[in-house]
Amino acid sequence: MLLTLAAASLFRHRARTLLAVLGVAVSAAMLLDMVMLASGMRESFRSLLLSQGFQLRLAPRGTLPFDTEATIGDAGALVATLRSRGAVQAVSPVLGGQLHVPLADGTTVTGAALGVDPAVQGDYELLDGRQPAGMNEIVANDAMLAAIGRHVGDTVRVAAGYDAQMRSLSGERVVRVTGRVRFIYMAAGQRATALPIDALRAMQGATAADRISLAMVRLTPGADVDRERAAIERLLPRVTVISTAEAIRQVDERLSYFRQLAVILGAVSLVVGFLLVTTLVTVSVNERIGEIAVMRAIGVRRWRVVAQIVLEAGAIMLVAAPLGLALGLVTARYLNSILARFPGLPERIDFFLFQPSAAWTALGLLALCGVLSGIYPSWRSASLPIATTLRQEAVG
Amino acid sequence: MSELAGAPIVEVHDLVREYRMGNETVAALKGVSFTVRQGEYAAIVGPSGCGKSTLLNLIGVIDRPTRGTVSIAGERVDQLGDARATDFRLRRIGFVFQRFYLMPALSARENIELPLAEAGVKKSARRDRAMTLLEYVGLARRERHRPSQLSGGEQQRVAIARALANSPSLLLADEPTGELDARTGAEMIALFARLNGDGTTIVVVTHDEVLARATKRVIHMRDGSIVDHGTAG
Amino acid sequence: MHVLLVFLALPGLAPAALGAQGGASPRTIAIDERLAADAGLRLGDRLSLTATPGVAGDSVVIGAIVRRRADPAEIARGEYRVRLHLTSLQSLLGYGDRVDRFAVATRSSAATGAAIARINDAAFGFRAHRSADIAVETSTTFAVVSRFHRAIGVITIVASAIFLLCIMLLKVEERRRDVAALRLMGISAPTIVRSVVLEAACVAVLGSIAGVGVGGAASWFVNRHYQAVYRTPLRFSLVTGDIVLLAVLLSLGLGIVAGWLAARRLVRTPPLALFGR
Repeated sequence: MLLTLAAASLFRHRARTLLAVLGVAVSAAMLLDMVMLASGMRESFRSLLLSQGFQLRLAPRGTLPFDTEATIGDAGALVATLRSRGAVQAVSPVLGGQLHVPLADGTTVTGAALGVDPAVQGDYELLDGRQPAGMNEIVANDAMLAAIGRHVGDTVRVAAGYDAQMRSLSGERVVRVTGRVRFIYMAAGQRATALPIDALRAMQGATAADRISLAMVRLTPGADVDRERAAIERLLPRVTVISTAEAIRQVDERLSYFRQLAVILGAVSLVVGFLLVTTLVTVSVNERIGEIAVMRAIGVRRWRVVAQIVLEAGAIMLVAAPLGLALGLVTARYLNSILARFPGLPERIDFFLFQPSAAWTALGLLALCGVLSGIYPSWRSASLPIATTLRQEAVG
Repeated sequence: MSELAGAPIVEVHDLVREYRMGNETVAALKGVSFTVRQGEYAAIVGPSGCGKSTLLNLIGVIDRPTRGTVSIAGERVDQLGDARATDFRLRRIGFVFQRFYLMPALSARENIELPLAEAGVKKSARRDRAMTLLEYVGLARRERHRPSQLSGGEQQRVAIARALANSPSLLLADEPTGELDARTGAEMIALFARLNGDGTTIVVVTHDEVLARATKRVIHMRDGSIVDHGTAG
Repeated sequence: MHVLLVFLALPGLAPAALGAQGGASPRTIAIDERLAADAGLRLGDRLSLTATPGVAGDSVVIGAIVRRRADPAEIARGEYRVRLHLTSLQSLLGYGDRVDRFAVATRSSAATGAAIARINDAAFGFRAHRSADIAVETSTTFAVVSRFHRAIGVITIVASAIFLLCIMLLKVEERRRDVAALRLMGISAPTIVRSVVLEAACVAVLGSIAGVGVGGAASWFVNRHYQAVYRTPLRFSLVTGDIVLLAVLLSLGLGIVAGWLAARRLVRTPPLALFGR
C-alpha cells in the first residue's frame, strides 16, 4: 500500500517526475564520470607501471625516467650489483636514444629507440614475429613501420646519429625487422623501435659505452618494496630509485588539477541532484498536505508517512541511477577520447577508468543523496499539525 | 438507542483550547464539559467559529487541549504522545470528513484497507473486511473504482466504511453532508441512523438541520461554550 | 633544448650547493621567486652553480628575482628557473660557442614571412619557424584541456537546463489556485499565460543574476586556490561578458519555455479542477 501510494504520487505528475529523473540521471552520469576521473588516472597509471611486474625504476640521480637525457655510467657493475641482491628477481637495463631511417626519397624518418635486454625487457609487447636476438635485429611499432614502409622480415638501413648541420648520419647499420611490437609507455602514434642494448650502444659510439638511461627492477614475490627501494638507494647513491607508489604520487601531483576538478564537479553534481529531488518531493508533499493530514488522522503512523516520502525520493534516484550510469559510461568514453590526445601520454593511460568500485561509489552517494533529499519533506510531512492542516485544507 | 445507552464513552471536562494569533490569544473553547454514552448518536451544532470542529478534533485526539481533560472509553487521551495518539485513533476512533479525503491513488476497497493494513491485519482478512463494509454501505460493485470515478455520495460512503474498518468505539463526523446534495445527504443520514442502530456511537458536527434532527441528542454551542447539552433520547 | 639544459643545471642548485661563497666579480644570475622563497635566497646572495653534483662550480651573485609569467605552459612544472648570461651557461655546460635557437625580431608580419623564407633558403642545417606556429605546437596540452572543459561545460548546461525547467514547472504549478481564481473572475487565458510567462522570466533573470554572483565568487575561489597550488599568477577561471550573457539568455529562454508550457496546461484545466473540486 505504501508502494502504491508512493508510485501514485510519482505518476500523478508524469512530466515533472520524468524531468526529475532526467536531471538526476545527468547528475549521476557526471558523478560517475568524476568518480572515474578521480581514481582512473591513478589506477590506470598504476596498472601500466605494474603491467610487466617491475616495481622499482632506477634513473640518474635527481631525475625521473626519461625526463632528461642524462644516463647512468658503469651500468654493467650496477646491474650486477642489483642482480646479486636476494630480493631482486630480474633487472631490465634500458638505454634511450633515437634511430634515424633514411628513405629512398632523401628524407629521414626519426623515431625513439630503446636498447633493451630482450630476455627481461618490460617496455613493449610483441604482437607479431620474434624478439631481436642479434646485433642487427630490431623490433618496431606500427607507427614506425608505416613511416618507413617496412614489414616484419624486411631489412632497413638505420643510424643512431644525425648531424643536422652536415646532414649526415652516424652509427649506421643494416638491420632486420624481426617483430612488430606495441610500446607500453610510448604515446599513441609515437614512432619507436627497440633493439638489443649492446647494438644501440655500439651504434651510439663511445659516449654510450656501458651506460643506461634506466633500469627496471622486478622483486621476488613478497619482498618489501619500500625497504628494498631504500636499501638500493643507500647502496647506489648516484641513482634515484622510484617505486611504483612514488611514481604514482608524482603523477598525482602533476595531474592534481584533474582530481580536484573531479571532486568539485562530483560534489556539484550531487548537490544539484539533491536540490532537484528535495524540491520536487517538497512540492509534491505540499500538494498532498491534506492527504497526509488525513492519513495521520485515521491512524497512519508518522514513520509510515516518512517512509512513503523517502521511498518517493529513493525511487527517483533508483530509476535515474542506472540511466545515469549508462549515460556516464558513454560520456566518460567521449571525455577520455578528448584527454587521450594529450601530447606524450602513453597510449594505454585512461583518465576515465571504469571500475566496479567507481560505480558502487557513485551509486552509494546517489542513494545517500536520495535519502537525504527526502529528509526535509519527510520532516515537514511528519510534523504537520493535523487539525490545523485539515482546517486550512477545508477552507482552501 | 437510548435504552441501550450505557457507560460513558466520551467524557470531556472543563476543556479549554486557546490559539495564538500574532500577539493575541484566542480561546476556541472556554471550559467545555459534557459526556457521551455508549450507543449515543449526538450532534454538535452552532454557528461557524463557535468551536465545534475544535471540540471534535480534541475528542478525536488529533489536537491537544490547552487545559481540561478528555477521556475516551475510560482512557485519558488529552496528553497522549504522538505515537500513542496515532495508535488510539487507528483502533478506537473512526473519522468522517466533510470533503471525504479519500486517497485518490487507491481504489474504494484499498482506501478501506488502508487503516486495516496499518493495524497489521493480514491481506486476506482485510480484503474480506473491506468487502463486508462495502456491502454494508451498498458499494460492493464499486470496489475497484477510484475516488475520481465515484459520485460525492459514493465517496462519502467509502469514507464511512474506511472509518469503520477497525471497528472503532466512536465514529466522529465533521459536516458529513456538507458537500452533498439534499437527496444524497438524506441517504447519508439514513446510513448514519442504520449505523447507530447497529450499535455504533456517533458524534457529528453539523450545520445541517435535517441531520441534527435525525440524531438523538443535539448539543448547542456558541462562542466556545456549550449553551445546551441536549437530552439523550 | 635550451630550457632543458637549464633544468639539467638544477641538481647543482640542490641545498648543499647553495650558500655564501667567496670570490671576486662573479657573474650575476636571475632566479625565480619560487626558488628564492623555498631556498631563502635574496638579491646579492652568492651561490655556487654547477652542472654536475659534487663538482666545484662557478661563483655567481643573484642579480634579479623574477616572477613567472602567467603562462599556461608553466602549470604543473615544479622545476625552478635560473637565468644566466649566455656565455656563463655555455661555459658551465662545456657547450662551446653553440646555442639551441635564436629569436629574431622582425619589423612587421610581412617581413617575418620574408625572413623565414630567406633563412630557410640560405641556412644549412637550420629551420626558421614563425613564433605563432611554435606556440600552437606547444599549446596542444591546453587545446586538449580546453576541449575537455567545453565538453564538461555542455554536460553541465544540459543538467542545468533540466534543473531549471523542472523548477520553473513546479513554480508555475504552485500558482494553480491563483490561476483558478483569476479564471473564475473572468480574466482571459492569454492574459494569464502572459502574466505567468512574465513572472517565470523575472524569476529566471533574478536567478541568473544570483547565479552570476555565485559564479563570480566560485571563480575567485578557484583562481585563489590554483594560483596557490601552482604558484602562478595565471588566472584559471574567467567570468567574461559572453559567459554572463550566455547564462542569462539560457535561463531566460528556459524560464519562458517552462512558464509557457506550464501556463498553457493550467489555463486548459477547468478552474474548479484546479481548486481540487
